[in-house]
Formats: sequence, C-alpha cells, structure tokens
Amino acid sequence: MMRRRTWLAAAAGLTVTFTAGCALPVIPKRPKPQAEDALSWIRHADGRYTLYVPRAELGQNILTALKQVACDELGIDWAQLDARLPATTDVAPVRGTVGSESIKDFALPLAQACATLREALAAGQRQGVIAAKPLPPEALRSLRGMGPYVGRPVPLEQAPAIVRGQPLYASDVRRPGMVYGRVLRDPASPELPSRLQAMDEAAARAVPGFVALVRDPLLRQGESEGIGIVVSTPGALDRVEAALAVRWQVDGSFAQADIDALLDIDARLAREGSLGRQLEDGRIAPGTAWDVDLRFDIPLAAHAPLETRAAVAEFAPDGLLRLWVGTQDLFYVRDVVAKRLDLDPARVQVQAQRVGGAFGGKTICTVEMEAAVLARAVRAPVKLQWTRAQEFLFAFHRPPSSHRLRVALKDGRLHTWWHAQASSHILFTNAVLPPWLQRLANLVGDDGVARGAVPPYRAPVRRVELDVIRLPVLTGPWRGLGAGPNGFAIECTMDECARRAGADPLRFRLDHVQDPRLARVLQRVAEACAWDAPRPAAPPDLRRGRGLACGIYKGNSYVAVVADVEVQRDGSVRLTQLWCAHDAGRLVNPDQVRAQCEGNLVWGIGMVFSDRLPVADGRVAAASFADAPIPRMSEVPPMQVLLVDSGDAPGGAGETAIVAAGAAVANALREATGVRLQRLPLQPAALAAKDE
Amino acid sequence: MQLNINGQRHDIPADWQQDTLLAVLREHLGLVGAKLGCGVGLCGACTVLVDGEPQRSCLLPLPVVAGRAVTTLEGLSPPGAATLHPVQQAWLDEAVPQCGYCQSGQILTAVALLRRVPKPDAAQVDAAFDGQLCRCGTQQRIRRAVQRAAGGGA
Repeated sequence: MMRRRTWLAAAAGLTVTFTAGCALPVIPKRPKPQAEDALSWIRHADGRYTLYVPRAELGQNILTALKQVACDELGIDWAQLDARLPATTDVAPVRGTVGSESIKDFALPLAQACATLREALAAGQRQGVIAAKPLPPEALRSLRGMGPYVGRPVPLEQAPAIVRGQPLYASDVRRPGMVYGRVLRDPASPELPSRLQAMDEAAARAVPGFVALVRDPLLRQGESEGIGIVVSTPGALDRVEAALAVRWQVDGSFAQADIDALLDIDARLAREGSLGRQLEDGRIAPGTAWDVDLRFDIPLAAHAPLETRAAVAEFAPDGLLRLWVGTQDLFYVRDVVAKRLDLDPARVQVQAQRVGGAFGGKTICTVEMEAAVLARAVRAPVKLQWTRAQEFLFAFHRPPSSHRLRVALKDGRLHTWWHAQASSHILFTNAVLPPWLQRLANLVGDDGVARGAVPPYRAPVRRVELDVIRLPVLTGPWRGLGAGPNGFAIECTMDECARRAGADPLRFRLDHVQDPRLARVLQRVAEACAWDAPRPAAPPDLRRGRGLACGIYKGNSYVAVVADVEVQRDGSVRLTQLWCAHDAGRLVNPDQVRAQCEGNLVWGIGMVFSDRLPVADGRVAAASFADAPIPRMSEVPPMQVLLVDSGDAPGGAGETAIVAAGAAVANALREATGVRLQRLPLQPAALAAKDE
Repeated sequence: MQLNINGQRHDIPADWQQDTLLAVLREHLGLVGAKLGCGVGLCGACTVLVDGEPQRSCLLPLPVVAGRAVTTLEGLSPPGAATLHPVQQAWLDEAVPQCGYCQSGQILTAVALLRRVPKPDAAQVDAAFDGQLCRCGTQQRIRRAVQRAAGGGA
C-alpha cells in the first residue's frame, strides 16, 4: 500500500507520516494558489470569457470582486465575462474559503493568469494551454486600479437572481426523481457513544411517503450512530421519524458545570502554574502587584447561518457521483466522500452552490456524506438538509473560553501584561480529529485559539499563554477564530488600564500602539465620532456611555470601533450608534468591504447580547432560535463605516471588525454603569441601577 | 386541492397535500424563493404573502391557504420582465444581500409593510422586520432599501 504523508502545519516544520489503513481523517491543507493554478480559473472561447471563481460564495460577494479583477486585467466589458461557481472537475484543487484570504491571496494569481491570457490572445493564440507568467503587482493594471472596475461600484453578481428568487443554493437544487433524506441520531453530543436500542420499523413503513430505512456504518458521526430515512416528500420526514420512534442508548453525560470546570482558568493556573503554550514568554516578577485583574468567560456559540447545511447527491448510471453543496471547502468534501465511499476522487464531481451563510461553520464534510450514503442506498437523487435543531446538536461551534488578564502599570503606562487562556480546539476541531490525533496536534499548537491573543501594545513584560482542552461538545472555527474572544478580553482590559491610569482611552491606546496603521484607524474613528467634543448630559433616568476598542486581524487588517449606549434604570440597553474605521489595504470592492464591516459590527452586538448555546444532559440544549437568539433589527443601531485605503497590499476584510466591536460595546456599558462585563452574554439585570 | 400562487392555479396531487406550503412551493412547484431557515416560524426566511399579509409558509398547512392568494418572491415581477418591483430594485440599488438566503422573506416583508404604511418611520420599519432574522448583518441596508422604495431616497 502507498504511504500517505500529510503536513499538519508546514510552518512549524512538523511532518507526520501515517501508513495506509489507520483511521486518518482527511486534513484539508493546500498551498497558496499560484498563477499556474489560476489558468484553470479563466477560459476564453469565441470572444466570451468564463471565470470559475475558485472561492466559495458565502455572501462576501467574492464572485463580484474577482470578476472586477479579471475584467480589468483582461481589458473587457463586464458583460463579456460569466463568473461561475465551479465543480471540482472545472478547476485545479484549491484550498478552502477561510481566514479572509480571497482577495489577499487570490487576486494576484488571478490577475497574473488574466494578463497571460490577454497577451496570448493579443499574439493571436486561440487554442491550447499557456504558461502563466508570475508578473509583479506593479505590472498588473487591475491591481494598480487602472481599469474601470476595481475600486469602483459595480452591480453584485447573483443579486438579481436573489431578488427574483431564482435557484442558487444547494437547498434549491432539484433533480428528476429526487427523494428526501434525514439521518436520525440521539440528541447527545457526538462525543458520547450512542447507538440504536429499538425502533418501530413496521410503523415507519406504513407512513405514506416512506421510501427506505438505511443502516450503514458510514452514517456514524463521531461516536454517534446514525439511522437514515428516505421519503418522497419533505413533510414525510417528520412523520416517519415520529413513527419510527427510535430509542437510543447513550454512554455517559455531562453538564454545563463540567465544561466550566474543565476550562476554569483560575483553577488551572493554581494547579499548573504555567500553561502548555507560551505565545509571549515574558517572566512575571514574583510579588507583582496587579493594577488590573480581570476574568472573562465566553460561552459556546452557534454560527447560526440562515441556511441550515444542505446537499443533493446523485449517482449517474456510469457510477459518477454528483454532489451539489453549500460548503466552504469543495475539494475537502470531494476527498472525504471519495475516501470513505472508496471512489476515485475524479469520479466524484462536487458542484459549488452559493452558500446561505457559513462563518467558518461549513468547513467540514457532514450533510454531503449523509446525502451520498442515502443516494447510494436508494439509487435515486437525495436532498438532505439539516433541521435547525440538528445544526445546534451536531455542528461544531465557537469554543467556550476562560481568560485571566493581569496588568501592572508603571508611571501610568503598561509594564507587565499577562493573559492566560483555556479554550477547546478550533483548527484541530474535535468534529474531525479523534483524541489521539488531537493530542499529536497539540504539539504543534492550535493557531486558531492563539489568533489575536498577542496584544498590539508595547509593554516591557508580556506573557501570553494558553491551554487547549478537548471538551465533550464539538468546537471549531467560528468567524475570526480566537481573535473575537481574544480581542474582547484584551480591549476590555485595555479600557480598565486606561481608567486605572487616569488616562483617556484613546490616548492611552495611541501611547502604546506599535503599528502606525492601527494608530491611523484610531484617529479616524475618533474624528468621525467627535471623540473630544463634549457630549450632552443624559436625562436623570438614563445612563449614557461611549466605548472604544481596536485591533489587528492576522497582521494585515486594522480596525477601530466606537459605540454609544443608553442604559435604562432596569438595566435594559439601547445601542444608539456605532462608528468603525477599517484599513484592509488596497480595496477591490469598497462597498462590499463596508458590508463586511457592517456584518462584523452586528456580530459584535451578538457577542455581547445574545451568543450562547446552553448545554445540559450531555448535549447542546437548544432546538430553535428561541433557545439561541441572534441579533434582531431593533438591536442594530445606525452604523457609520469609514474605509481607510492605505495603499498597502490587500489584507482581509471578512473578520476584522469583530475583534473590536464587542469590546467597544462593553466599554460603553462600563462607562455608562460602572459595571465591567466579564461573563458573556450580558444579563440585563447586571446593569440595573443599584438603588432599584 | 387547488392553490392560487402568484395568480396561477395549481392542482396539488394527493401525495403532496400533507406537506407545508413551503415544501410544496419549493419542492413540488419549484418556486424556491422562499427558504427553510428554522421550520418553526422563528426566522422569517420562508415568509410569503397570503392575501397580502406576511405569513410563515413553513407553518402553513395547505388547507389553510387553499383558495387564498399566495404571493411569493417570484410573483413580484413577471419572469423576464425588464423592470423589477420597486422593492426588488431598491434591494439592488442599496446592494443589500450578503449571503442572500433571508432576503426573500425580507423583501416580501417590505412589500407588505409599504402597502400598509406607504411612508413608514424608523420605528415602524424596525417593528415590521424584528422577526426577520439576518445573520450576515444587512439590517442597516434593509432599512435604507425600504426607505428608498418608499420614495424617500437613500
């Protein structure tokens, strides 16, 4: 048998070698795209161009932005180019759509490929394969902003289809003879072993619309056995499930308190002294007197995209498996399904559809595998879409984390900064990796948990350390990975440091900022909100506050946010205004960068006021949006977004503002009420006036 | 059983009559504008108009809507028509959609609001949309698009 080698983390230089036959999950890791890869993205025939966009369309409107680059570089009109979402058979393998990389890493190779194609066509070449030239950005007219599209307003691709209700999403796909599937499991976490104990198969078969009952070991998810049902109309799914009345046997249980105890950062520090991984290894002088000492606890939270994950699977008569999917990682889905069904990956054609929201949560293979197994069993196309309850029960979520931040000041400035954190995994998610492999991965360190943990501020002594612990709930990537929770903890702490130093929060930050681009967005947001202007006094029954926060995402994108709040005597809060200044380098589509900022601001609101998945009885105890609410229209204040185009290389825009949005709100609440929010989300009673 | 969808009559075969309006629209008739977001009427992605009123189609059994006028997103402007409904056009002009999945429900909510209140104030807009969830964070653009469609400009 062939030996299989997988890079777990190339940057850390660790190579892990496995022999075929062990239960190795497929690890998604593909290198940065090069101009040569990009040639498979762009085609020309008879005066028309087709761009197979090598990114998932998740609502960042990347189809539009990469079309802007391609049209400018090719020197063609908007109408001459069709931007399409590819199937795995259309393009060279490409890595998943994660980490706000689609402009940063894909605009350049796309522009290079388009420049090569343009020159070949100009030289009269009409057929064959051409070698892409890796021209520098300065030699590419699109990236220099010399064309009519990059940096300018353009119509959004697929928006006319959205407002007309035309089929775009995996859940919209319909195939002749299609039937509907669902995989039933015990509601326990897939970390707990569960198996079928009894079911009433005869009753299920008697339900009109029943097609098949499918038992296949491939329907297992984690430790959870799955039983497939297939029906002829969607409404029969619930009726067959009810008639089948499956009883499950589950081993073990856990409660919220168990998770809290596993993560409790103070207990861990008391027990272990220092944590498993130091990102900054400053030594804490014995007997340091802390000026600020804060604990932050951030709970499990759902991605909650409005589209629950869905897939359609169909085997052609010649054995080709076709899948229509709403995933962030097309080729990962192909590789997992091919491996587990023992198919040649070339015989698995996975077609990307527009994704109805993902936010990091649609990066692994779930419904695609379930649909493929059911389609194989019933020899008919199967559509399978998780219920909202299944999303909460069986998807992975933002990990809960527990943070302790201690700061000593000297002469009114930061001297010693210590941030200790315990979290469950993000990149090395337990939704994919078994415990033994996760322990191996811990040697490398989970850079998802670490993301954004090192503060952007100068201090003579900085110690940043973390432990990553496997929890009995599934956790993984969530918008911004660790940067959201870390940014929240850092920026709330920085606010308290400024208070303790008797300094203005803006000037205190500017005094410690290392990066001039961060200083610039701070200054821009301060101008926008008239930071220094006197604010009107609040009426006697109302408390008002203004909060500031800022941050850097992945070293390439900068943000500062100001929030204004009003708090009633009973503790109820109204956000009245948000300002955001954002620098993501050169912008291809400024309006959609603005839209990403708006979205991140709303996620910051959610982080403070609502994001939380309750846990009880060995499972996520949420079945609907009533149990796990997300922000509503009335919670969203007017928002002003200022884009700072620094002319620097393009960075990421999809996850930047989330590092500051939540803390800006929390700092405003602190100013209004004196209460420092340390356990998310906010319980309004915590802010009730003391004399109530 | 007959349904009246976007001004057209459709005979619904017996094997679909136990399904919700949403399932019949999407899977039997191929009108996929309305979306399944939660299945229990809490997100609004499946919103359609029944006799002009916004309703959650994931909760509607067919007998409840038989004989009543159902309007889906597809019914706002005829297929192939050069001009869109003013609310659809406002959604494009304000570049509202991110992922777009909730927008059918948002647009139909706007259509119903503007029929009832041609010039809604900010509080009326927020009240009309508070049950229409959007996770991408397009709320501010939805407000602008509603005001644009109401003739108030951007």
